[in-house]
Amino acid sequence: MTDKSSTARPPIERIPEEIEVLASELESLFSQGLELRWGDEEFEELALRAFEAQFQHNPVYRRFCERRGTVPATVLSWRNVPMVPTTAFRHLDLVTGDHSAVEAVFRTSGTTSSTTAPGRHLASRLSLYRASLLSTFRAHLLPDVEKIKFVSLIPSPTALPHSSLSYMVSTAAETMSSETYWLVDGNGVLDSARLRKVLGELALQGEEILLLGTVFAFVHWLDELGGEELPDLAPGSRIMETGGFKGRTRDITKEELYNSLSATVGLAPNRIVNEYGMTELFSQLYESNLTQLHETRVGHTPPPWLRARALNPTTLEPVGEQEKGLLAFFDLANLGSVCHVLTEDVGRVIGGRVYLEGRFAGAEPRGCSRTMDELMASRRIAGR
Amino acid sequence: MFDSWAIPDAVQFPGATCFSLGPEFSVRCLSIDSQWLDGLANILIEGNSTLRKRSASDLARVLGIVGSRFLEEGDPLRAKALELLPRASGLSVPMARAVLDGMAADWVEDRLSELLSNEFGTSDVLDGFVQQNGCRTMAIGADLCVQIVAGSVPGVGVTALIRSLLTKASTLLKPGRGDVVLPVLFTKALAVIDPDLAEAVAVLYWSGGSSDLESAVLSRADVVTTYGGDESVQGIRALTPVTKRFVPYHHRVSVGVIGSYALTSELVEDTARDVARAVAVFDQRGCVSPRSIYVEASGDVTPRAFAGYLASALEVLEQDLPGGCLELEEMAALQQVRGAAELIASSDSAVEIYHGGRASWTVIFDPDAELECHHAGRMLRVEPIVNRSDLAKRLGPDRAHLQSVGVAGLGAELEVLAEELGRMGVSRVARFSELPFPPPSWHHDGGNPLRDLVHWVDLEDEGD
Repeated sequence: MTDKSSTARPPIERIPEEIEVLASELESLFSQGLELRWGDEEFEELALRAFEAQFQHNPVYRRFCERRGTVPATVLSWRNVPMVPTTAFRHLDLVTGDHSAVEAVFRTSGTTSSTTAPGRHLASRLSLYRASLLSTFRAHLLPDVEKIKFVSLIPSPTALPHSSLSYMVSTAAETMSSETYWLVDGNGVLDSARLRKVLGELALQGEEILLLGTVFAFVHWLDELGGEELPDLAPGSRIMETGGFKGRTRDITKEELYNSLSATVGLAPNRIVNEYGMTELFSQLYESNLTQLHETRVGHTPPPWLRARALNPTTLEPVGEQEKGLLAFFDLANLGSVCHVLTEDVGRVIGGRVYLEGRFAGAEPRGCSRTMDELMASRRIAGR
Repeated sequence: MFDSWAIPDAVQFPGATCFSLGPEFSVRCLSIDSQWLDGLANILIEGNSTLRKRSASDLARVLGIVGSRFLEEGDPLRAKALELLPRASGLSVPMARAVLDGMAADWVEDRLSELLSNEFGTSDVLDGFVQQNGCRTMAIGADLCVQIVAGSVPGVGVTALIRSLLTKASTLLKPGRGDVVLPVLFTKALAVIDPDLAEAVAVLYWSGGSSDLESAVLSRADVVTTYGGDESVQGIRALTPVTKRFVPYHHRVSVGVIGSYALTSELVEDTARDVARAVAVFDQRGCVSPRSIYVEASGDVTPRAFAGYLASALEVLEQDLPGGCLELEEMAALQQVRGAAELIASSDSAVEIYHGGRASWTVIFDPDAELECHHAGRMLRVEPIVNRSDLAKRLGPDRAHLQSVGVAGLGAELEVLAEELGRMGVSRVARFSELPFPPPSWHHDGGNPLRDLVHWVDLEDEGD
């Protein structure tokens, strides 16, 4: 824990071992998987240490905190750690520590307006990202098998080197796939002939697979198939889908997509798992019916090193469990940048799980100016 | 529960269902399909035979009688509007009053007659052939004008409705989500004093983006006008047959330019107050609401300091014209912009931010236009300019969407600047105090509010 009485700070340029120590500690904890239960106190202690490190070694973030009169000595809970909005990643490289330690750059999608630069998240602690994503991916998608064949409608990292989603899938594939088929190129073009062939062969062999894709890619594929049903996949197969349901694709509800996918490849809808993540967070949340059976809406489960809150959009104070609010996350995997992130996404947080909310049904935007729809369309999909 | 329609008596009632238009405002909507709309179009087109027998000046008189009731203190129509508007539009009570007063000022007979004569010289040209430009000519209104308003600044629907009725077009108006109340109240009041005229008018709301319904009415119209974001307007344009006259009012942005003459220590507070008010009216949702203010760097008060004056003025305005409710998505965007601006201000950038905390106003001094300021409450970006070419460069990205420019303290530069702005697509240059409520005969988005809705028939001499 930090010494709260101390006001003397080590100089910025000295990168102390403290970050290194904390990073290895976290990596080791993340690697133990999701089974490990973390108490509030344990999370609190690690979170405050992470804040201290980010305050000391991320000068922009430090001045941001100081503007708000917040210094580590006055912060007694991770909940009071100043939040950085996801938009800020479009403008600033929020690296904690030495910029020369940056190992990878992940970019968000741009918005529809060409004037805005895409955001980017510089990873100076790639090992933490790896450890976090591997444990959660394993727990939610492959809790029962060591390895499985990956059929990916998400482009490979060779095709999209700055996509965090591609990085996630390929990193998981390194240890969890017996073979990986990349079937969408860097321009988002699906090789549907090959996909049909691969799925046909694997179905024939009775080989279990993990089919991965964005909503956008799946809808595109299903439209192309025009209702045609393919040979049933082996029953142990599963599907990971990610991305929003509104935006670059025709409007479709989650239920419609699941039913349609399910009918096409002959898998029960509960074999489909939704991944919720964003470039700005190095940890992911999953809504999994593989691990949590037969509830109507199970919500997205965070790993123990990430805490979610729903906040009142005006005051940014937490709302009650049944109320919806803006989602904010404290993600320890973001040690190398900024842990406490405020998103534009709306949802409820019940028992630590996140229940994402769709938009107000039938809502048309107010105002005769550029519509919120046009803004929303840019926000929540694919480009991770 | 508010009924979101006003339709001719001759139309069969199709049933209705409840529909929420916002957190505090539910309405009943007609349960309609394409066939019902087709039948409505028939009745409206039939009603046009009565409408076209009326003189345009008589229409101005009748519409003016209804319009002026929205201004009359103690009139139940005004009272009803003021009761419903805050909930329906999300505006605060004082703001709803200011918006109604500003909009309805143009709905009275004098202003409508003035509009007719500005547009046509004489309104007789709508009633029959008139000798003009060497031949006899007549302006013919549509048998049916369909107006689809996808945005929803309160009052836009009534103004649109009045315009097409003045041209003797039977009109079907689909109001915007936050603008359902006024056109419905207007049309119902019209039906009381002039039932014949009301047989040619229908106002009804349905949930947006239903292309089946929209196609059904668009195919029956002669003239289609649409107001909204680019995508909405594009969508309606795509559904409209090529033979129809299409009048688009797409996404627009307005800005302000402050010259050094308005930046003296005597004038700066007044300048800031006028700008703040132009921003605050409609809670900045109007296309006439300025989003960015360009401030000459040569004034006594620096652009950075002027941003501070604007912040104070917006704070003061929260007393007289408090901000209304924001939707969740708007609040989300507001938090993002404020947080990002604070972070940028914490880096080496010259950005500075002021905001009202729980009040929605935000002023960002952003010399290099680093931030994208989404619409979220009363959000103003202040940028310094050194000269006119600097201004042109900064306006460049918005060129396709520029509409109004508020001006102060430009002196002799004004006319040259106005021409340059006009070449960039601007259709109005005005004092900030006038910015929110353009005069009725303003060349709306560069066009003609009434002339764009008619077609002309010229009658040449038969000869011998």
